[in-house]
Amino acid sequence: MQTPLTIPVPVLRLPRGPDGLSRGFAPDGRRAPRMPEGPETPESAGVQESRESQEQQARAALRERYLRSLLAMVGHQVSFTLHEGVHVTAHFGATDLDVANFYVSQLQTPIGVQAEALLRCSDIIAYTFKP
Amino acid sequence: MAMRQTPLTCSGHTRPVVDLAFSGITPYGYFLISACKDGKPMLRQGDTGDWIGTFLGHKGAVWGATLNKDATKAATAAADFTAKVWDAVSGDELMTLAHKHIVKTVDFTQDSNYLLTGGQDKLLRIYDLNKPEAEPKEISGHTSGIKKALWCSEDKQILSADDKTVRLWDHATMTEVKSLNFNMSVSSMEYIPEGEILVITYGRSIAFHSAVSLDPIKSFEAPATINSASLHPEKEFLVAGGEDFKLYKYDYNSGEELESYKGHFGPIHCVRFSPDGELYASGSEDGTLRLWQTVVGKTYGLWKCVLPEEDSGELAKPKISFPETPEEELEEIASENSDSIYSSTPEVKA
Repeated sequence: MQTPLTIPVPVLRLPRGPDGLSRGFAPDGRRAPRMPEGPETPESAGVQESRESQEQQARAALRERYLRSLLAMVGHQVSFTLHEGVHVTAHFGATDLDVANFYVSQLQTPIGVQAEALLRCSDIIAYTFKP
Repeated sequence: MAMRQTPLTCSGHTRPVVDLAFSGITPYGYFLISACKDGKPMLRQGDTGDWIGTFLGHKGAVWGATLNKDATKAATAAADFTAKVWDAVSGDELMTLAHKHIVKTVDFTQDSNYLLTGGQDKLLRIYDLNKPEAEPKEISGHTSGIKKALWCSEDKQILSADDKTVRLWDHATMTEVKSLNFNMSVSSMEYIPEGEILVITYGRSIAFHSAVSLDPIKSFEAPATINSASLHPEKEFLVAGGEDFKLYKYDYNSGEELESYKGHFGPIHCVRFSPDGELYASGSEDGTLRLWQTVVGKTYGLWKCVLPEEDSGELAKPKISFPETPEEELEEIASENSDSIYSSTPEVKA
């Protein structure tokens, strides 16, 4: 590193991307008031915070497990179950940042083999592989 | 301990991002719209970059996008020869305005009653949004395609840029008041109402003119061809980006280059400060938008300043990174105890 004495500004999370399923504009999402609201019950803010932090830790652990699973899939043969009972197999390459697309190679389809392809996540019902 | 800028990458577009605009500050915060060659402009929360929705309907690349002041309406200009007006809360298309050629630029008046459009047919058009069926008023005079058109002087005048000229028009009489000629192609134009300043970029130059008289105020030269520049609301800084993929930050008063940031993987097409000046957004050929802090290390939006004595347990600290990221060191993946990827690169991947 050229500048070992600087640390990058930490971030809470990355900006959320499109969900890949809808065009968005969720009615509850956008027009929420910007003022923070107080806790609803007389329960202390501390208890609420520790429950939230437990949930966040659980979410982080699950997310990490999922990302590790994607890492383990790289270069392996994966079987995809798509809509309408279609099954295809391919070598897994990568997903994009929002996991909206799966980049695969040697995709075996009912009509032939595609050297390289993108599978839309919204088209995939399930996938399985042997590490 | 000095802090290093962490840009926030907004993904979702699949082609180059060619234009972006912020709304004003509303009771719900402020918003950001991005125009993309994939034909699907997106609305995002301005301070976090969170995706809110995608405006679906255009059948070609979207070249220009804007929001009205209170972010209730959006307008887009596209290669399908139409400009569209949208409800920015529901995402519904409200109006399709047919043109005779590619539309490049759209701008609302302060009261959202009129929409100004311009494009390859070299005509400026003014639509009365309360009378969508009525024919627009047209202003001719440009001799090449219009790249940018903006209302100015409290919507009493219009500024428009084509390849080599910037022209000032009177709204009421629809006649040209003044024009500026350039030897090089004008790449962008920004209008700052407070102080009536016009920011124009061409070649490697970032020039500031009076929006009222078009007289030059000052100009700076950047190290590379600049495609877009933006002046901070308090006029302390300006940011610019262009063909060398870097973002430059200058002191407006002295012209001193303060910072330059790498991060984008392609030329930068547009850059704009947020209405509160706390961040600026850049849109690039690489298909992403990035949000950058004006004051690096400040707690704002998704950026969280961590003081040395604070327990940073509340921060999400990912322990792994995607193998596809070229910059990530392999040690980070191999080492289970590697505490954070923040120490390696400015690119943060969840």
